Amino acid sequence: MTDLVKENILLNAVTSAFKIEGKVIRDRRVEVHADKNTVSSILLFAKKQLGYIHMNHMTCIDWIEQGEFELVYTIYHPVDKLTLFVKTRIDREIPVMENIDTIWDHANTYEREMREMFGIEFPGLVGEHDFILEDWDQIPPMRKEFDTHKYAAETFYTRPGREDAKDVREELSKRSGTVVPDFAKKYSRE
Amino acid sequence: MSFIDLKGMLQPLGAVKQLFKKPHTIQYPYETNKASDNYRGLHFNDLDQCIGCGNCSTICQNDAIDMISLDNIDGKKGDSGLRPRIDNGRCCWCALCVDVCPTGSLNLTKDYIFVTDNPNDFLLTPGLDNPDAKDRLSYTCDMNTSLSLYDRVPMRELDGKERVKSFAEVVLGYSEEEARAEADRCISCGLCTEACPENMHIPEYINAIARGNDDDALRIIYDNNPLPEMCGKVCTRVCEDVCALQVRGEAVAIRWLKRYATETAPTVEMIKEIVDPKIEEPNGFSVGIVGAGPAGLTAAYYLALKGYDVTIYEAQAHAGGMIMYGIPKYRFPLESIDKQIQYMESIGVKIKYNTKVGKDITFDEIYTNNDAVFVGIGLQNPWNIGIKNEDSPGVISAIEYLKIINSDETYDVGKKVAVIGGGNVAIDGARVSARFGADVTILYRRRVEDMPADWEEIEGAEHEGINIVPQAIPTRIIKDEKTGKVIGIEYLKAKMVAEDGGRPRPVAIEGSETIYECDTVIGAIGQQADFDWLPENYKEDLIIERGKIQVNDLRQTGVTKIFAGGDSVKYGNSDAISAIADGFNAVKGIDKLLLK
Amino acid sequence: MVREKETTLYIGPQHPGITGNMMVKLKVQGDTVVSAATHVGYLHRAFEKLIERRNWIQAFTLLCRFCVPEPDPMELTYARAVEELDNREVPERAKYIRVIVMELARMQSFMLWYAGQSGSAGLYLTPQWSVGDRNYILDLFEDLTGGRIYHMYIWPGGVRRDLPEGWTDKTLRTMDYIEKRLDEYNKILFDNTIFQKRAQGVGIVPKDKAIEWGVVGPVLRGTGIKSDVRIDEPYEVYDKIDFDVPTQEGGDIWARALVRKEEVRQSIRIIRQAIADMPGGAYYNKVSNPMKWTVPAGQAWAKTESVRGEIGFHVTSDGGNKPYRVHVKGAAYTHGVTVLEKILPGQNIADVSFILNSLGVCPPEIER
Repeated sequence: MTDLVKENILLNAVTSAFKIEGKVIRDRRVEVHADKNTVSSILLFAKKQLGYIHMNHMTCIDWIEQGEFELVYTIYHPVDKLTLFVKTRIDREIPVMENIDTIWDHANTYEREMREMFGIEFPGLVGEHDFILEDWDQIPPMRKEFDTHKYAAETFYTRPGREDAKDVREELSKRSGTVVPDFAKKYSRE
Repeated sequence: MSFIDLKGMLQPLGAVKQLFKKPHTIQYPYETNKASDNYRGLHFNDLDQCIGCGNCSTICQNDAIDMISLDNIDGKKGDSGLRPRIDNGRCCWCALCVDVCPTGSLNLTKDYIFVTDNPNDFLLTPGLDNPDAKDRLSYTCDMNTSLSLYDRVPMRELDGKERVKSFAEVVLGYSEEEARAEADRCISCGLCTEACPENMHIPEYINAIARGNDDDALRIIYDNNPLPEMCGKVCTRVCEDVCALQVRGEAVAIRWLKRYATETAPTVEMIKEIVDPKIEEPNGFSVGIVGAGPAGLTAAYYLALKGYDVTIYEAQAHAGGMIMYGIPKYRFPLESIDKQIQYMESIGVKIKYNTKVGKDITFDEIYTNNDAVFVGIGLQNPWNIGIKNEDSPGVISAIEYLKIINSDETYDVGKKVAVIGGGNVAIDGARVSARFGADVTILYRRRVEDMPADWEEIEGAEHEGINIVPQAIPTRIIKDEKTGKVIGIEYLKAKMVAEDGGRPRPVAIEGSETIYECDTVIGAIGQQADFDWLPENYKEDLIIERGKIQVNDLRQTGVTKIFAGGDSVKYGNSDAISAIADGFNAVKGIDKLLLK
Repeated sequence: MVREKETTLYIGPQHPGITGNMMVKLKVQGDTVVSAATHVGYLHRAFEKLIERRNWIQAFTLLCRFCVPEPDPMELTYARAVEELDNREVPERAKYIRVIVMELARMQSFMLWYAGQSGSAGLYLTPQWSVGDRNYILDLFEDLTGGRIYHMYIWPGGVRRDLPEGWTDKTLRTMDYIEKRLDEYNKILFDNTIFQKRAQGVGIVPKDKAIEWGVVGPVLRGTGIKSDVRIDEPYEVYDKIDFDVPTQEGGDIWARALVRKEEVRQSIRIIRQAIADMPGGAYYNKVSNPMKWTVPAGQAWAKTESVRGEIGFHVTSDGGNKPYRVHVKGAAYTHGVTVLEKILPGQNIADVSFILNSLGVCPPEIER
């Protein structure tokens, strides 16, 4: 835990080969940040040259405020027991990412899910479009701007008989005749 | 392995022997399964114990809990009057509602079968619809397992021996980290807001502190309290008495958090920059205010913001009233008062010092020259103790004594001091005397737990070596026949007698006379207002009952143009925050009178 | 050979011999599968999206629902990811309790697999037994957590409640009972020629492809590769406990069954050790007020060995009081799609749900 020798060797191997940034997060965890065009070369390099033959996971995070999707590829070395994260960011407006299911077959499932849930296109990706959501006509639902509350309110009816519910804070300020100013309301109980 | 593997074919047939074993899945005769002692079944809520804080409803991730009014439960201070109702169609029995219930009233029971043909029955008000479930509680939550944080972040103070040496401030205030941690404990129910005479937006500013937005916290505080520095230090904080957490643990340190928020703006300029008060265009009306105490200052501040021309007439050389002259400086330093007054003046409040109404200016003049008048004179004259030799030199009232000390004058209390009374003023008198090296004893008629003073003040006094003699009824002051000076006080010991189940009353024990030798007797058994300055014709119209002015909820007196507030009116408690509430509400009243 | 007509056949979306809804679209020629594709199972409940709307503690009540047969590893993995982000220490006692819960969960899930595996082979006595015996483990869970299936017990900072009085004794008694029963299970299933014939040589996962295909857990160990998160990246107190990781060569259903059969015995061994070594002290490192608790910004990847294999949680925090993104990867996500699609061609239709069971496919992990 103290020296992180293997971790640093891995970090150097990847960062120097591709001239990219990265860091050792903790023991057994190393991350590198890559441009979206070099991701597949890094993954292939890690798989063929370094022995990262297992892909654990692939995820997408919607950073709506930065206007980006972050893709994280989690790959694993079964002998060294190291995990390498390859992270990249793609433009949220033009969400296109290289298809890597030729490197790992099961990446196909992740990519199909991301296509449905985030609307990311993977050119050349083969497979059912309706993998999870059948007949979905709204924006990809895992995007941050998709409001589940609103969707539920529009799609389903609420159970009758619960209209008499009161808000404790409102009830108390009504009773004491005070008004919480608007700028303070964001600090009231949700 | 050939296809016909005799062993492999016959082995499974051994299962036949199970036929003769006692079955373990079904019992004959049929027995119902007993739920475990920890089972998460239907809810039960102890309706009397519940305070309607709504924490259960907030944590419920399924939106299954509504807070509703029940017919036989009325809200009161410390109880919103609402109770949870569970939509069992949504509940997932995660029991987070139980784990966050600050009072422990909400529990789960062993009831896991609920059959009904009416879908509405699944909307269950626990406790009301299933009162008998009380005997089948299973998943409960004590203070150890609870998710509520019951322990207050301790406040750092000067050591008792250290602080009697000077008038340095005793309470040191929260650091940023401490304040965030303390603010995190708040569950934002808002029960405190109803108990606060001024209905401050407590959960909001605490939440702002918790999220690290101290500026917003200060802005929220100044929305209806222009003297937060004072409240942050010396408020009687009735809010903390109704905190949802104090039912089982320690209340959120609301006062100290407010103090923390004010400390983030140490200068007048910073307050002004952060609060950024919107001062409206002059509206042409003028208001005269008698007395620059908390009530008068509050009224002046919000009137000035609304564009009124405000002038305060103050008899003393310094504004602040009782908070200036009645509170010792180790609790509320002079700089703090000055800062607050300067801030007021910076937004346009005019204060005329050393101007005693009735002497330097007539009340008639103020009355005629202004569109409205606000009277906030406070209680100046101490009640007499009412025992023999009270007029001897060496007997002084606590407020006179405090006023002398706070005006930087001197008064020699000698070596030994007896203080009579059990309120904050008595403790103040005692602790101030201790700072002059005196050996102080407090004589109080009832028990220590009956003392109206803050527990923190009582504890503080004890740490400073002040002796408290409870159940002591003073009978006479003993004076030296030659010099006439006080040399001691005689008191009777008392026993507490509860009459008709009421509050126990002290009754003197005959023959228990005890003499305490002392050089000074400080009386602190209350004050009354002084109305000598008020011309007779006003006195009648104002309606003064038992020494206090009668007002309506907008603090309007019997005379349409005159509003009043503070300790001298009969409304709310006699403390600073009630005075602030009076000033704040009088502004609404004046607005209504003049602007319609 | 006469070329037969190709027929499309759907298995599912109702429980196709496994717990949970999924659909496999098969192309068959006669009785032989030509190709297979995993298809929508109408099971998507948007848990990952819903978690983003809840605060860190509220979210934990949703996690167990990712996989009905074995909910506890989900709770543990989430808790560990959040603890990593928050730098939160977990009391030693809580770690031991977590290990016991994990192994009990493995055992009860094994019982369910046992039922499914033999049931899909047409052997209907074993399900009666194993589901009955599983209830003894669920009783332990009920005593410990207050719930039988969904426990909602392991949360960030430790566990929710301390062990009830007498619980460890009851657990040890149950272990003794189950150990005895396992011998009887052997007689009716593993020594049973019918089961052997059905399982051997069917549903082979090739050893050289397994890791690349994303195969994990008992399925991977059934190909002879020794891989177990409990050993590779020990969490909680697995590094202080002595246990074996069984492997089998062959990669077929039979090999996987033998691996699982041995694993349950290892679980009993682990539980006995954990109970013997259990330290006293706190069981929970209290987090702040759950409504206001914020977790420092960052990303964490935590993984846990469940009965189906590695479960991973990728948790992202933006520093707020709600998770920014939680992505759950269950073993079935690869087993139920890529691996299944690769190994089904050439198999008999009757073996499809048999294979599904042996891969440990849990559809709620595919459609979350």
